[in-house]
Amino acid sequence: MSKIIGIDLGTTNSCVAVMEGGKPKVIPTAEGENLIPSVVEPVKKLVGRVAKRQQILNPDNTVYSIKRLMGRKIDDPMVKKAQEMVSYEIVKGKEEMAVALIGGKEYTPQEISARILQKAKSDAEAYLGEKVEQAVITVPAYFDDAQRQATKQAGEIAGLKVERIINEPTAASLAYGLDKKKNETVAVYDLGGGTFDVSVLEIGDGVFEVKATNGDTFLGGDDFDQEIINFIAQEFKKEQGIDLKKDKQALQRIRDAAEKAKIELSSATETEINQPFITQGKDGNPLHLTMKLTRAKLEELVDELIQQTMKPVKECLKDAKIGPSDIDEVVLVGGQTRMPKIQALVKEYFGKEPNKSVNPDEVVAIGAAVQGGVLAGEVSDILLLDVTPLTLGVETLGGVRTPLIERNSTVPTSKSQIFSTASDSQSQVEINVLQGERPMAVDNKSLGRFILDGIPPAPRGIPQIEVAFDIDSNGILNVSAKDKATNKEQKITIKNATHLTEEEVEQMKKEAEKHAEEDKTKKEMADARNQADALMISAEKTLKEGGDKVKKEDKEKIEAEIKKVKEILSKDEVKKEEIEKAANNLSEELQKVGAAMYAAQQSDQPAGDQPQNTAADKNSGETATEKEKAGEDKSKAEEGEVVE
Amino acid sequence: MASRIKDFKKNRQKLADLEEKLKRALADYDNLEKRILGQREALSNLAKIEILDKFIAVLDDLERAEKHLRNKGLSMAVSQFRAVLTSEGVREVKAKGEIFDPETMDCVGMVEGEKNLVINPVQKGYLLNGRVIRPAKVEVGQGKKMIS
Repeated sequence: MSKIIGIDLGTTNSCVAVMEGGKPKVIPTAEGENLIPSVVEPVKKLVGRVAKRQQILNPDNTVYSIKRLMGRKIDDPMVKKAQEMVSYEIVKGKEEMAVALIGGKEYTPQEISARILQKAKSDAEAYLGEKVEQAVITVPAYFDDAQRQATKQAGEIAGLKVERIINEPTAASLAYGLDKKKNETVAVYDLGGGTFDVSVLEIGDGVFEVKATNGDTFLGGDDFDQEIINFIAQEFKKEQGIDLKKDKQALQRIRDAAEKAKIELSSATETEINQPFITQGKDGNPLHLTMKLTRAKLEELVDELIQQTMKPVKECLKDAKIGPSDIDEVVLVGGQTRMPKIQALVKEYFGKEPNKSVNPDEVVAIGAAVQGGVLAGEVSDILLLDVTPLTLGVETLGGVRTPLIERNSTVPTSKSQIFSTASDSQSQVEINVLQGERPMAVDNKSLGRFILDGIPPAPRGIPQIEVAFDIDSNGILNVSAKDKATNKEQKITIKNATHLTEEEVEQMKKEAEKHAEEDKTKKEMADARNQADALMISAEKTLKEGGDKVKKEDKEKIEAEIKKVKEILSKDEVKKEEIEKAANNLSEELQKVGAAMYAAQQSDQPAGDQPQNTAADKNSGETATEKEKAGEDKSKAEEGEVVE
Repeated sequence: MASRIKDFKKNRQKLADLEEKLKRALADYDNLEKRILGQREALSNLAKIEILDKFIAVLDDLERAEKHLRNKGLSMAVSQFRAVLTSEGVREVKAKGEIFDPETMDCVGMVEGEKNLVINPVQKGYLLNGRVIRPAKVEVGQGKKMIS
């Protein structure tokens, strides 16, 4: 069965989504963006971003905001307003309908919209790798029958069977799964690039009813950008006496900078606008545009625009004959609703936190895809797959928890990893199966433990023990440990590894968050100990293997450092820095010996003093800071050295 | 007996449903795998494009500084910057004197000059392996206006 895509056919931008594996996914365009600008050049057959780029060059032939004409007669007030605004010609077509006149040929709004839908279709086909022939398309709640019919025709011209036309606010509610709740009243606040809509819906048993809609068809995010541009130009004029708006090139740069600043101020409270060499002063010297814009200033600049949206909101509630407190859920739609001030205002007015977790540019298309999924029978067909609520792992050297299966992994799943022994001739390993999010083993829940013995004697790190975790679809965890040399294996089965109550999971996650800082310190401590331990063993090995190639005094120095590390590690109360310092000292001494051994190999002379000291000095020069810190420990070691 | 037949029929239906679901899951997975394979390069390109776009904005400023300050050291640094971008596969969009191409160019204004030719590049555009990092912003000739 083929997929049914969901299309948000917008005034400024359009967006396409599809259900995949039970989840809605926005389909990127061929240009790699999630939105398609609703712009069409019908003569050269350009659609979307590409059509938008040639808009200025080709204003008579470039159609945009076609949605404003959809299913409207030429004498419609909306058409009159659009005629004043757009750069292409709008004339009377068949049956008094408004059509676009491009290159002497009439194009109905359906035909133009069909070009956008065609692009949506072909982008979806390229993405899915299969034919797409069905779609759910959204329209504003206030669209009448003629407008809905026209939208449906557009789909058909594009070669799409329109399975359903749904309201944009309904789609947005679907994206948040509000249809699953019973008898709710929802307000949808939709502030897009060029239009503002507000709707009140009533949901009961999965049926949506639009109680009232209102809005301002000429208010949107673009007006916000314009306010910022005006402000920047004004400030610059005040300071430098030059009007940047008269300089086309400079204006273009301000326009881009203004939009960027607006977006940044949704997450930051302050942003810097830096445009070096924006223009030249009267004396011919370059002038730079550099200014700070705070969120508070931005809010002041656009306050009037924000307040303008509240009037339709109040009207809408009045028409629906309800008050703000009767609204159960509020949904935000449109990129401009990312602005914190708008979110705060909406929250204040309705007295509740609005739904805003779904990308507001994509939420309508996502809802349309959800509807498409329901129609295709896909949504009810989802095989519910379990996930492991917490991380599963084993305890390793130093009491550290090593994760094998990360939390939120979909089951069934399996994972294996090779481990080794921590000491020489170790004949057995204990596998401690852990569940939880804390980095130290003791802080996690131990699900079970077992011992794998009979490992043939070998130096530490040589044996290969394969530990495998496997969770089946019933949540049963099998853990096995196998010695690769002997193929000897031990295993344990743990039932209900994924079945924890929600409270248990929450509790464990909270614990992990609460202790994050101290856990990090503990883990770092364990890591430092493990590293120092490993270094010590490698130093001992170097001395042993180096034999008489290592000079006696060097050997003594290293042995002294090893002893120091050992002493520090044996203490219970010790600082991480102390361990690291001792390990560093040892490592430095070891490097000197290494360098000396290489020098001895290269030169005919038996281990000359000169090259050794040069190497040592270079080394100590590079790590000067560490050496200063380690001054006390080093002074003794340096006594024997020749200092230039 | 009748209930057994009913059970049997029910189970047969269930088996068919499960088989269908399994097939769908396997197909979804298979398609996903193919797509991931096919799009891996495209995705890594997209990720690169995102970061290159930010670097290029800095290059713009450096080039403006270079133009005004005429400092040799600065020029060397700028050309090194350009060389690094080139080695990563970044190419500049040829704009001046070319026929306007909306695939790689963004028209920001009209000026006197031959129709449809790029007269005045306002901001350089860049490509990464044929994909647009950002289009060249250009002013295009409007051609001689005929007086009717």
